[in-house]
Amino acid sequence: MHATSTRKQQYIGDPLSQQPALDRARLEEIFNDIQSDARYDHELNGCLNCGICTATCPAAHYYDFSPREIVQLLWTENLEGIYDAMQEKIWACAQCYTCAARCPFRNSPGSLIMIMREVAIKHGFQSAKDVLRPFSRVMLKLISTGNQLSPDMITADHFADWGPNISKVDAPLKLLRAAIPMPTLNTMKTAWEVNLKTSIELYTIWEMTGVLKQLETIDENLFDVISDIMDERREDYEDWCESQGDNETRRAAPPEETA
Amino acid sequence: MTVLVVGAGPAGLAAAHALARVGEPVTLVDKAQRLGGAPILSGYAKLIPSGEWARDAIGGMVRRVQEAALVRVATTTTVSAFEGEPGRFTARLSDGASVPCAAAILCTGFTHFDSINKPEWGFGTYADVVTTTQVEQMISSGQGVRCPSDGRKPERVAILLCVGSRDRQIGREWCSKVCCTVSANLAMEIREELPQCHVYIYYMDIRTFGLNEDLYYWRSQEEFKVKYIKARIAEVTSDGNRLVVKGEDTLVKRPITIPFDLVVHAVGMDPNVDNRALAEVFGVGLQHHGYLARGSAYAGMALSTRPGVFVAGAATGPETIDDSIAQGEAAAIAALGVVRTSAVQAA
Amino acid sequence: MKDTSDTAGAHFTGHGPEWKDAKLSPLQARAATAWVEAKIDRATLTGKDRVEDVRDLMWQLEKDGEIVVHRIRDEHQPVETKTLYGWTKRIPTEQLWHHKSCGQCGNIPGYPTSLLWLMNQLGTRYLDETDQTSCTAWNYHGSGIGNLESLACVFLRNFHQAYVSARSQGLPDGYYYPLVHCGTSFGNYKEVRAFLLRSAQLREKVKKVLAKLGRLVDGKLLIPEEVVHYSEWLHVMRNRIRAIQTVDVTELRAVIHPACHVYKMVPEDAIYDDEVLDGNRVAVSTSVVQALGAKVIDYSTWYDCCGFGFRHIISEREFTRSFAMDRKVTVAVEEAHADVMIGHDTGCITTLDKNQWIGKAAGKNAEIPIVADCQFAALACGAHPYKIAQLHWHASPVEKLLAQMGIDWERAKADFEAYLEAVRDGRGEHLYDPRRAVTSGPGAPKLVTA
Repeated sequence: MHATSTRKQQYIGDPLSQQPALDRARLEEIFNDIQSDARYDHELNGCLNCGICTATCPAAHYYDFSPREIVQLLWTENLEGIYDAMQEKIWACAQCYTCAARCPFRNSPGSLIMIMREVAIKHGFQSAKDVLRPFSRVMLKLISTGNQLSPDMITADHFADWGPNISKVDAPLKLLRAAIPMPTLNTMKTAWEVNLKTSIELYTIWEMTGVLKQLETIDENLFDVISDIMDERREDYEDWCESQGDNETRRAAPPEETA
Repeated sequence: MTVLVVGAGPAGLAAAHALARVGEPVTLVDKAQRLGGAPILSGYAKLIPSGEWARDAIGGMVRRVQEAALVRVATTTTVSAFEGEPGRFTARLSDGASVPCAAAILCTGFTHFDSINKPEWGFGTYADVVTTTQVEQMISSGQGVRCPSDGRKPERVAILLCVGSRDRQIGREWCSKVCCTVSANLAMEIREELPQCHVYIYYMDIRTFGLNEDLYYWRSQEEFKVKYIKARIAEVTSDGNRLVVKGEDTLVKRPITIPFDLVVHAVGMDPNVDNRALAEVFGVGLQHHGYLARGSAYAGMALSTRPGVFVAGAATGPETIDDSIAQGEAAAIAALGVVRTSAVQAA
Repeated sequence: MKDTSDTAGAHFTGHGPEWKDAKLSPLQARAATAWVEAKIDRATLTGKDRVEDVRDLMWQLEKDGEIVVHRIRDEHQPVETKTLYGWTKRIPTEQLWHHKSCGQCGNIPGYPTSLLWLMNQLGTRYLDETDQTSCTAWNYHGSGIGNLESLACVFLRNFHQAYVSARSQGLPDGYYYPLVHCGTSFGNYKEVRAFLLRSAQLREKVKKVLAKLGRLVDGKLLIPEEVVHYSEWLHVMRNRIRAIQTVDVTELRAVIHPACHVYKMVPEDAIYDDEVLDGNRVAVSTSVVQALGAKVIDYSTWYDCCGFGFRHIISEREFTRSFAMDRKVTVAVEEAHADVMIGHDTGCITTLDKNQWIGKAAGKNAEIPIVADCQFAALACGAHPYKIAQLHWHASPVEKLLAQMGIDWERAKADFEAYLEAVRDGRGEHLYDPRRAVTSGPGAPKLVTA
């Protein structure tokens, strides 16, 4: 696990810590946010403590992490334990969902962890900020274009451990991309060419579902950068729409009447 | 007028015998070719909690019924229609016979869970993954516990409890009641036959209820050194030589991967696969898991949802042999009540 | 206790004085356990009365006038398959809308190109277009940014686009059926679909967003009848693919890496086929590799994930590479003695392929070619290893695989390098007419209206 140096200071169950115990109201607020997620009751039904989740968990082999423990903390409403797990442990999960496919109670520890991660973000946990830092390039790309990954992100600099050659044929990336026989993939900055209109639609989704707000909580700088890009691209789109004039071409699929 | 008993396992045999003993004629039908139900048809070895061989114990019950003049036995027979009122029902059998009867007792038992429904536990993929029923067979046939792949004596055996029980993934949300004790018993038998063999039992909870605690759970540990690990196994695979079992030892909190020669599924009790058809023919209700529903918890233990039709044994839910016998007798007395009442009314 | 069972075939007598021989003949003993070996219909084991099938909710909601279902119609030439519990899932084989995978297109583009190439060989009609976003689930599972509503909106938006995409060709709505390339998209979309079907509250929330986007049908949410993964298409097409096979692969030992999000997420929807490993393992990939004649070898870590981990591949790389090497690559080489590992998901192929190089630094020297099932199938059908299968993007020793298949990879590579010159001059070849790729928005050809 990468270092989250905050752990010692924030470890509320640590009798040696000089820090005052965390405010109960805050712990309850955090737990309520977890519990009130629409998925919570569906993903947590009880626990037989059988350990099949941990048995099959890839992360449990390498980290001090056990999905059974997470489920137990939630099920027993151990608020301090939940808070503690959110400092570090919840980020160990590899999200393979094997636990969910195995649990005799049909719990989904992997989904519960996702709820906890969302809540860690909402509350601006330092753990979430630390974890998300290396993700910022990915998020910038995804949120501003609608495409998670781009060919020009995969460089020997960023992925030195993937070997000296990203491609075994030595040629400029641009040429290699142009040699992919799918026209949508002859791109550099996105994995496939995403239409501007498509990105603009996605911006509406980000805004209306609170994703930008999440981002603002966790990384204000990134939020600013992304907001600027979104504004710019929206203007581009408006310009294009105006240049078309004719509604027929603006959108092959005319907007539906709202219900 | 006769009492129709459907199913000739422990419950049905007990009901038929009880009625014959008090002078009531019985028609006993079973879809199988032989009488005895699961303990005989599936070749069980030594029964819990008596330690008697199934062949002797249930075999004795079969003989008793076969020798009873008042019991008419129809094997390879099912009931295709059933109508009327308490005291004057008519059952039509698959052989075409029409049987007037005062009451009916359904002792139609259960179906062993088919492990093929849990593919990650290796049954059907690896020859050396077997069920408790197969191990019973190995013992009762006298062939001994061997790895089916090559006939070798296993040095390490894992028994997985709750296979087809207590599992929402496959809609089996019940405890099958007997598997803990049965598994402890089998573990001791394996250790007795193969003293060099290590036997591990993987459990979520141990439910060797009542007097089975010391006889099975404790004795298997104290005398037979059977190891109990609180863990539900995630997957059974193979490295090409031995089976590989992946679990978490939940009490010492470590993921574990352990080799075994033989993995035994302690299979649970499913509702009889015929229950839907039975419910249709006899006009009785099913409870939500698909077992035959009981009409009341307190008014009489053998009541179904239809007056004059009674239920007993594992047809109504996972049940031990002893309790099935007791329920068969309870159903007999309930049926006798209908016979006597209708006889008085008719007079 | 004394082991008295030494003599083969003799009865052991370890049971004490009460021992009696049951005297079952071998035939009787066999009959007694025949039930465990009998071929049974899984549908009778775990029916819908036991485990919820969200498709039942879907049909009810459609009946109630709440949603519109994008149906798999006869024109999509569906093939019936059976899922884990023996339920039926229909896989469309015609008129498919490619829902691409960001990781495939970005890292291992030979993955989708091989699929499209196979479709060209088989004469399958399809549409690959630019009006499409990532499912955003990689980011969500990795970072926690995103939420159920955003995931649901993205799902509904992309699938709505699939529904209306044929308008750009003057064809009716629902003409193309979406085919999802990525395992994570596949799993995530199915999970999100289930929550949408269960929760009126969620439907109400996302409906507002979809209305604003103009992505409702008759004012209702559009839900696909099935979420279909490309590996399922490959599975039902395996015999037709075998019919156009040109390269013999019977000597190859292959191991399959099944993808977690393909069969562990919403496990009741994964395809199991009685003809593939007796229906005991997920059928996709194994079925096509076996149909092509290669030997599929079992191994002890079959059920393990690849180590991708979503955020781990980016910021916990030690975990990713250790897991990939220790639990997958090394086992495939040392235990299964496999020639190739074949998968059906983006992250797995990337992880297993790219981490072999660094493994050597840690003394983990096992190496094995890693390709997707559709790449393997395309190669077996004579696809060009570089122009089509794009194997130069693979870090694992794919050259070994090509050599074993009798493909002169050095010549093919030289071909490709020469071809790059043609590409440089703008004479690159495409799998379909590039003008079809933009269906609306900037760059779209004017819609021809009657």
